Amino acid sequence: MSSLTSGPLKELGKESYHWERFTAKQRFLRFIAYLTVAVLLYWTVSSIDIYWPWVWSAPIEIQDMISRMIPPNPGALPEIIPALIETINIATIGTVFAVLISLPVAYFGASNVSPNKVMLWIARVIIVSSRSIDTLIWALLFVAILGPGPMAGVFAVTFRAIGFLAKLIGESIEEMDWGPVEALQSSGASKAHIISYAIVPQVLPTFWAVTILRWDINIRESTVLGMVGAGGIGMLFQVAIDLFRWRDVSMVLFSIILVVLFGEIVTSIVRKKLI
Amino acid sequence: MKHENQAIPLEDHYIWKKPSFIRNPWLRYGLLLVSAVYLIYAFSTLSLDIQRVMRGIPRAMQIFSSAIPPNFAARGELIVTGFIESIQITLVATAAGVLLSIPFGFMAAKNISILPVYALGRAVIIISRSLHPIVLGVLFVKAVGFGAFAGVLTLIIYTVGFVGKLIAEAIEEIKYGQIEAIRSTGAGYFTILVYAVFPQIMPRLIGLSMYQLDINLRASAVIGLVGAGGIGNTLNSAFGRYDYGTASAILLVMIAIILVFEYVSGKLRRFTK
Amino acid sequence: MLEIKNLVKSYGNGERVLKGLNFSTGDKKLTAIIGSSGAGKSTMLRCINRLVTADSGEILLDGVDLLKLRGKSLQNARRQIGMIFQGYNLVDRLTVMENVLSGRLGYVSLMQGVFRKFPAEDVDHAYQMLKRVGLSQYINKRCDELSGGERQRVGAARALMQNPRILLADEPTASLDPKTSELIMELIANLAEEMDLPVLINLHNVAQAKHYAARIVGLRDGVMVFDGKPDELTNEHLEHIYTAKAELKEQLGHKPRSKR
Ligand SMILES: Nc1ncnc2c1ncn2[C@@H]1O[C@H](COP(=O)(O)OP(=O)(O)OP(=O)(O)O)[C@@H](O)[C@H]1O
Ligand SMILES: [Mg+2]
Repeated sequence: MSSLTSGPLKELGKESYHWERFTAKQRFLRFIAYLTVAVLLYWTVSSIDIYWPWVWSAPIEIQDMISRMIPPNPGALPEIIPALIETINIATIGTVFAVLISLPVAYFGASNVSPNKVMLWIARVIIVSSRSIDTLIWALLFVAILGPGPMAGVFAVTFRAIGFLAKLIGESIEEMDWGPVEALQSSGASKAHIISYAIVPQVLPTFWAVTILRWDINIRESTVLGMVGAGGIGMLFQVAIDLFRWRDVSMVLFSIILVVLFGEIVTSIVRKKLI
Repeated sequence: MKHENQAIPLEDHYIWKKPSFIRNPWLRYGLLLVSAVYLIYAFSTLSLDIQRVMRGIPRAMQIFSSAIPPNFAARGELIVTGFIESIQITLVATAAGVLLSIPFGFMAAKNISILPVYALGRAVIIISRSLHPIVLGVLFVKAVGFGAFAGVLTLIIYTVGFVGKLIAEAIEEIKYGQIEAIRSTGAGYFTILVYAVFPQIMPRLIGLSMYQLDINLRASAVIGLVGAGGIGNTLNSAFGRYDYGTASAILLVMIAIILVFEYVSGKLRRFTK
Repeated sequence: MLEIKNLVKSYGNGERVLKGLNFSTGDKKLTAIIGSSGAGKSTMLRCINRLVTADSGEILLDGVDLLKLRGKSLQNARRQIGMIFQGYNLVDRLTVMENVLSGRLGYVSLMQGVFRKFPAEDVDHAYQMLKRVGLSQYINKRCDELSGGERQRVGAARALMQNPRILLADEPTASLDPKTSELIMELIANLAEEMDLPVLINLHNVAQAKHYAARIVGLRDGVMVFDGKPDELTNEHLEHIYTAKAELKEQLGHKPRSKR
């Protein structure tokens, strides 16, 4: 043993070594970050418009509501099932429309292939406004324009999904390998041929991935469209709530969870098969 | 189409067809047929009606003409307080939600949890993920009354659903070697969590919180539609009064805030990496 | 017959990369272009098939000025000019056959191209071509499953499918190992000879240039500083061609070496 510590290791104890996980600058930045978060939270909690006595009684209220919901009422199923099917249909048709419209928007919105600046900016404005307005707000708008019903729902889903799809597909166009495009250009291929041979094959995996992802999201969103009158299961939910039929409410919630899980399972199967 | 300088002699004919993605023709055409039939059926059930669209066009025109120019002045104060409340709801709910996601994420991680706890954690996460914030919003408004508190509760659950799931996934991917190294020093369960698990998921967690802040901000604008506080309330009453000038003003501010926020959080996320 | 007259090209920042280049070749033989990195070799080739647009000058292919062409007539001119790239530039996710057939896109209609319904003689030709480069067993393989040497053979087959009147190659072997590099050079040289094509090829490997080329052109700083037969290329010439700009040498802290 002693032979092991006879060398420089023996000196180890004598020299103090100062160790810190972060450099001074890092620590300063971290401190600033923590401070900002703390101040923000303090300001928020102290100024938010909340009636605190309600907060303390909330657990009891929530328990009370849950107890009224149990057990779910299977008698509501004959109404629920067609509404669920309508929900899925709205999501699917909305996705199909959105895909068709988003492809040209993605193309014109991709800076490397867009024919000119004007088109580029038009496409970008479409993408930004579509993405920044929630499906439900689109639904409010389309119920006002088209009247209540699943058609307004399809439009709402479509208008929200266009920006989502166009943004992600456009980004994948911008990131693709430009070499094949040059190779085809130099062989005298026309623009349509270049799109079909160099762009489409490179973007296809992303295209399928985001389309499937969006379908999944659209199913989630379609479950609430009915609450503003745009079709699907959401209407039953609203009615049951308004009439205080708590056991119907829980049945609807249960079936919403099922349909969302169904969407997730289908997408994961398709994703595995395709990619 | 002559090949003038054809130096290569032609032999037999060669027939080529692009190989199909699905080899089995029965399966290929079967799937095509099924999809086509489903799409046609689904399309037909939605009572999509060109005439209604046509009739909608003048109404849309009317709405747009009253929405342009956007009217910031009429309800200026309400718009400001509405947005401030939305931001407050977002901040509180994200902070609380992320904190709460950590225990649920740990519960729902297969590799460090025991089965009953795992099942409970997963169930909570699945339920929170499946229910749209607006559904949760309605339920909480019914349970605890109108206002910001219902909104905060809604977004907390919403956050637990998303962040909890991603934390669970992050934990399931961690390197087991580090856990074993710490365990071999004789550390207990919670020491292992602090020294081996936490450091590995911490960077992901910060990125996730930032991302969730972004998502919650968008959601906070919507849950107000059902009375859970924030700008959504203002927007809903503007729609109710057919006051499209105010509505478009709110939407514009919303787009601006979301864009600024997306930009800042993108910068921050890159910075924390 | 290719004739380049007084070609000038500058990129965005304004400095001229090609400073009035003159060059012509009518012979069906292999011309190697050598020069240090940044001399403008790629730029010269890319000006010829208009992947970049030259500022001024003339590029005459059989008397037609390529710089004046637009739209359809540019496409028609481009299909007369085959090009082989350093990075192969194949579409990885398409099959070998599709990549080879894409060399015919300048000749077929929109629908024929998009639906992969090429004329039977094109398919035959593509098959023969693949046989010639030794890849006929890989016809329906995707290109991302091929090795670098195999990819470049597909690249060569695609360029020749155009039935070009001149072949350009921009460092076609620079991404390959030495042995494969020789094989590909051999293949390109042989194919060009079989098809009786003039070839312009950018090379970094002087030994290869001397071995395969009938004529060597030295480019330095956007100016042609050597033009002659391989055996006329002396060490002094090489020294001159490969001497970097004085200021660049300074930047790099470069000490002159007596022999390369
Ligand atoms: N797309 C471009 N935009 C701006 N400058 C460019 C572009 N392409 C080339 N250049 C510049 O032009 C000059 C000549 O480049 P070129 O690619 O023609 O050289 P090269 O002789 O082919 O070099 P290498 O042997 O490295 O391939 C370089 O200084 C390069 O930086
Ligand atoms: Mg080059």
